[in-house]
Amino acid sequence: MDLRRRFSGFTYVLPALVFIVVIFMIPLTYTVVMSFLRWNLLRPDLGIRAAGFSNYERLFTDSFTLETIGRTFYFVVGSVLLELLVGLSIALALDTEFKGWKIVQSILLVPFMIAPVVVGFVWRFILNNDYGPVIHFLKQIGLSGLTDKPLLSNPSMAMPVLILADAWEFTPFVVLVLLAGLKSIPYEPYEAAFVDGAGSIQRFLYITLPLLRSSMLVAVVIRTLTSLRVFDIVFIMTGGGPGTSTETLAFYGYRIAFQSYNIGFSSAINMLTFGIAIIFTILYMRVIGGGKNYD
Amino acid sequence: MRSKFVLLMVLLLLVSCFASPLRLSSEVGIHTDAWKTRMPGFTAEKGVEVSIQQFPYANYLDQLMLGYTAGRVDIDVPYISMLWYPALATAGYISPISDIPGYDRLNESDIPGIRNTKLNGKTYIIPYMNELGGIIYRKDLFEDPKEKANFLAKYGYELRPPQTLEQYEDVAEFFNRPPDLYGVTLMGRRSIFLATHFMQRLWANGGALLDLNMRPIFNSEAGVQALKEVERMFQFANPAARNYDFQEALNEFISGRSAMAEIWTTGMFYVEDASRSSIVGKGGFVGFPRPEEKLGEKLPMLYISWGFSVSSAAPDKQAALEWLIYVTDTKNQVEAAPTGNIPARFSSLNSAELALSFPWIKDFALAMENCIPTPIVPLIPEGGSIVSGIIAPAVSEFLSGSKTAEKALNDAVKEVDRLMRDGGYY
Repeated sequence: MDLRRRFSGFTYVLPALVFIVVIFMIPLTYTVVMSFLRWNLLRPDLGIRAAGFSNYERLFTDSFTLETIGRTFYFVVGSVLLELLVGLSIALALDTEFKGWKIVQSILLVPFMIAPVVVGFVWRFILNNDYGPVIHFLKQIGLSGLTDKPLLSNPSMAMPVLILADAWEFTPFVVLVLLAGLKSIPYEPYEAAFVDGAGSIQRFLYITLPLLRSSMLVAVVIRTLTSLRVFDIVFIMTGGGPGTSTETLAFYGYRIAFQSYNIGFSSAINMLTFGIAIIFTILYMRVIGGGKNYD
Repeated sequence: MRSKFVLLMVLLLLVSCFASPLRLSSEVGIHTDAWKTRMPGFTAEKGVEVSIQQFPYANYLDQLMLGYTAGRVDIDVPYISMLWYPALATAGYISPISDIPGYDRLNESDIPGIRNTKLNGKTYIIPYMNELGGIIYRKDLFEDPKEKANFLAKYGYELRPPQTLEQYEDVAEFFNRPPDLYGVTLMGRRSIFLATHFMQRLWANGGALLDLNMRPIFNSEAGVQALKEVERMFQFANPAARNYDFQEALNEFISGRSAMAEIWTTGMFYVEDASRSSIVGKGGFVGFPRPEEKLGEKLPMLYISWGFSVSSAAPDKQAALEWLIYVTDTKNQVEAAPTGNIPARFSSLNSAELALSFPWIKDFALAMENCIPTPIVPLIPEGGSIVSGIIAPAVSEFLSGSKTAEKALNDAVKEVDRLMRDGGYY
């Protein structure tokens, strides 16, 4: 009886455990193992050989990898920051019920419902130098200098444009999370602050923002993790170019895996991405979460 | 009762063994559509059923590689790009077609570029579609008396499809009248398409990717010159062309917005497609130009070919060979061509029947006879990685101004050198 009771808890968590092991642990372990191998699918005649730390050594001594990490940081920080700022502004604006707010909310969600590949094609069309509306608009307002070289072919403009396209797609997600957070903040603290004579900026800084921290943490962590893996819009919009100006870690991993078929080195790149994701998550939990639990 | 059941099962098993179809695979594309029209005829004539699996081009090779690696490919005759066979053959996933009894009936001497299909003297792929990288041009503009007179007055020689690199630049400059008409359409997006512009000029200037010892040598004077020529040509192209891939470049040309397109022969099918082209009947093809001093020489020219290979695991290689003989036969190639294929045999290219469907085919055949058809990537397993993964980014880095021509090529050479060392070439 005692034994049965002791194992009953285990029985309850078993399905989740199996799920985690199958979906997460097995592929992760497999990737870790492969990252220590010299394995090229194009050259099965060379066999699968132990590589020791050589894939990682190459990863950390190769200047291209370091540049790629830099570009990935640029993309992640740029897109997450933009999405957070714009998302927070929209969420605050939508936090008051007005006539037709549900329709506005639904419309705002549209970009988030579109597949990233389609988003890539849409933005390529929008930015087309011949018939794209953005270029037409820039020319109309006298900024034709910006359009002399197509934005996606300009090494200094291509990444900001990718960030913009990514923010266009995922800001609605941030809005959704923050709006749910705003709705869960009780009215009493605002009432007390109002009685104490706090202005709207003070109420925002000292009540809304602190109480929204956990929602912001959720939005930022999820978006950071997905931004680190950005591939679709890079593939469709720039193919990693011009030059290497938009080649991110995920794209680099893809190129090594599916153009060079170098499975060992590609796995090492993926492990690096995984490590960066963990570091980002811990940092966010410390900085935004502040180590406190607001639940 | 029981013995009858066992007998029935054995019979069913035997029937299923004998009736198993020949399993083909391919990308989704117009030349595949062409040979698919031959499948019913083959079954009727040879009594062998044929089935086909098609994949989008973008992930066809991945599907093949991953499937073969995992040992779960159920394909007897993969229709593949010539660039892929060295990797598949080195890995032992496809077997030599020339080892199948009766191979001689294929008459390989009728197929231009056949030398590219051999590894250690054995043939691994039989080309079905052959094409060359060259220039598609607007015949109506080149034949316009007013344009001819203006060109003569400006450049001092007659306007004609460019034979030399110098003429090519002159003609591109002459017709460059943005935004309504551009001199040339190029493919500037970082991809293997962009690499074709560099490779054609590298070869034309006497350079090469690798030497005989497989060491990279493209950071030569010819390489630097080739890069600079590519950059100069972009002056006469739509600025948007810096992010064009093959389809976008083609769309610009068939909408009548450029005088020339540096592309390959398949583009002519799109020119002649009345459902999307505004220049039907106005297109011509010419092989890629060369420096004036090399006129008349046989030089390497970008050669693109797709063909049939045979899986090592194919249970009935004789049936596979019968299909290859049937589908690449001159008569069948000529009949299938109008669906969207440029036949791989000289006998097909020179057929009067084909010339009726494709008036431009004689120019293509001429270019084919006067060049050394050369695949864009070296025919080694690492070939694709070198051109797509290293050369294309290097060209893009130079064009975007991130690196000088010398630096871009030197860095690329270092990468290729590492790749070749890893591959055990030296």
